[in-house]
Amino acid sequence: MDSTTNAVATSGLTKRYGSRRVVDGLDLVIPAGSVAGFIGPNGAGKTTTMAMLLGLVSPTSGTGTVLGRSLADPGAYLGQVGALVEAPALWPSLTGAENLRVLAALGGHDRRRVPEVLATVGLADRAHDRFREYSMGMRQRLGIAAALLGDPALLVLDEPTNGLDPAGMTEVRTLVTELAAGERTLLVSSHLLGELEQVCDWLVIVDDGRLRYQGPAREFLGQASTVVVGVPEHDADAAELVWLARAEGLAAERRGGELVVTPADGDHRAAAVALNRTAIDAGIVLAELSVRRPSLESHYLATLEASR
Amino acid sequence: MIRTVHAELLKILRRRVLLVTAAAMALFSVGGAAVTLAAARPAADAVGGRGLTLESLGAAGGGTDVFRTAVSFTGFFVFVVFVGAVAAEFGRGTFRTMLLRQPGRLRLLGGKLAGLLAYAAGVLAVTEVATWVAARLLAPSRGVAVAAWTSLDGLGSAVADYGAVLVWVAGYAMLGTVVAVLVRSVPVALGVGIAWAGPFEHILADAWEPASRIFPGLLLEAFAAGGTPEVTASRALVTVAAYVAVAAVVAGTSFARRDLAG
Repeated sequence: MDSTTNAVATSGLTKRYGSRRVVDGLDLVIPAGSVAGFIGPNGAGKTTTMAMLLGLVSPTSGTGTVLGRSLADPGAYLGQVGALVEAPALWPSLTGAENLRVLAALGGHDRRRVPEVLATVGLADRAHDRFREYSMGMRQRLGIAAALLGDPALLVLDEPTNGLDPAGMTEVRTLVTELAAGERTLLVSSHLLGELEQVCDWLVIVDDGRLRYQGPAREFLGQASTVVVGVPEHDADAAELVWLARAEGLAAERRGGELVVTPADGDHRAAAVALNRTAIDAGIVLAELSVRRPSLESHYLATLEASR
Repeated sequence: MIRTVHAELLKILRRRVLLVTAAAMALFSVGGAAVTLAAARPAADAVGGRGLTLESLGAAGGGTDVFRTAVSFTGFFVFVVFVGAVAAEFGRGTFRTMLLRQPGRLRLLGGKLAGLLAYAAGVLAVTEVATWVAARLLAPSRGVAVAAWTSLDGLGSAVADYGAVLVWVAGYAMLGTVVAVLVRSVPVALGVGIAWAGPFEHILADAWEPASRIFPGLLLEAFAAGGTPEVTASRALVTVAAYVAVAAVVAGTSFARRDLAG
């Protein structure tokens, strides 16, 4: 572990409640400046891990550093960390601006940051409404504004789109994408893998408290195959086309009405050409011919399945 | 800790809170003075040396005795306010939010309590003055002489009564905070606190005489009353201080060590 280049590094991080290990020997590495997606099923230990990094929960065992400071002394690094853990917990009778002023006073931040961060999250015109009058999306955005008050080097967001309607999700996703454009390190957990796929360059996958994968997102997705998909005009032609494609040396299989070819050497263009030519030679018309790249979701599910 | 006190005061010192507090203070001052004066009897009719007499009210400290006596009936309210203010932070999850800015847990808890007590101190000072004024206006109707109230001795009594009430409030605040920290839920904390300080202590005191020298709620009542035949004010204060010290250690240890997530 190199604490100078890693924003977060842990070794054997464990949290046990009674006999149940919620987090089990996690050796986590989040490179500084990365946008890290933290994914795993419900109960995988994501929130508990984040809570340990933020000093809210004491590890049962294990060590680590956050921004180069020991996990055992959260006071040494929390001034440079902004976080939204679970739902934003703020004072309902205070306005958005009042809530942020209270938190700025508590954290010793310049209160002039309040209008700045409200503008960043698009709440400048609702700053003087009470928190309890905010929609879910606005609450999430105010929670993110609170996390940004200290202009943190590390931003930790736990399920920032949780409970939001599609419009709210879009709002928060846009915001996270904007925040990811800067130099700070982002650690974001979400079940919406399609969204993480768009912004993350680093992935951490946990399941049952254990690490299943961590590394560059591109590398993780690179482990999955890009396939060529052909759909014959008539379903009845699919079986014949599979037989012919195999005869041409293509790794083809039928999935419903689709013909799926996995390029042996990774050259999906050559595989598409070969499949198309095979179909033309047999007098079969393809209604669709496409290259399907692996999604984070499909490969994540396959990884979890394989690890169990 | 200064930052935490500042943050707490920012939450409290808002127009709406100040208006509600001012209205409550005005109501309490007039109502408390009226009821306390109405309840005062000639010394010859006083039972067991308890309560204010018309003669004692005519002394230099009579004006602020009215305030001290009226306030002593609000212990339950003070307890509820502090239980609510602290336990609600757990219920809403705002302690978690605050700990991300102030990871020093004891500083956070101490600062919050100090902020609330600072506000309470201000409210008590204004209430003492308002109650004194109300009592000054109402006293002639009960035949109480008020000439001595404006003497230098009267001022000294006012300061002493203010200090005593502040200590009394701090005692309830500490006990309320401890209950809130230990149970972390407003309804449960109130249930426990009310059941203990209300029926439990008083029923036990009726059946077991030493209870009034042992239980914190009864001791605080005795201290606010300036002492009772069972226990002197100073003895009550020392015993309550011991309770508060133990309670502070228990609450501080619990708050510092327990996980705060979920």
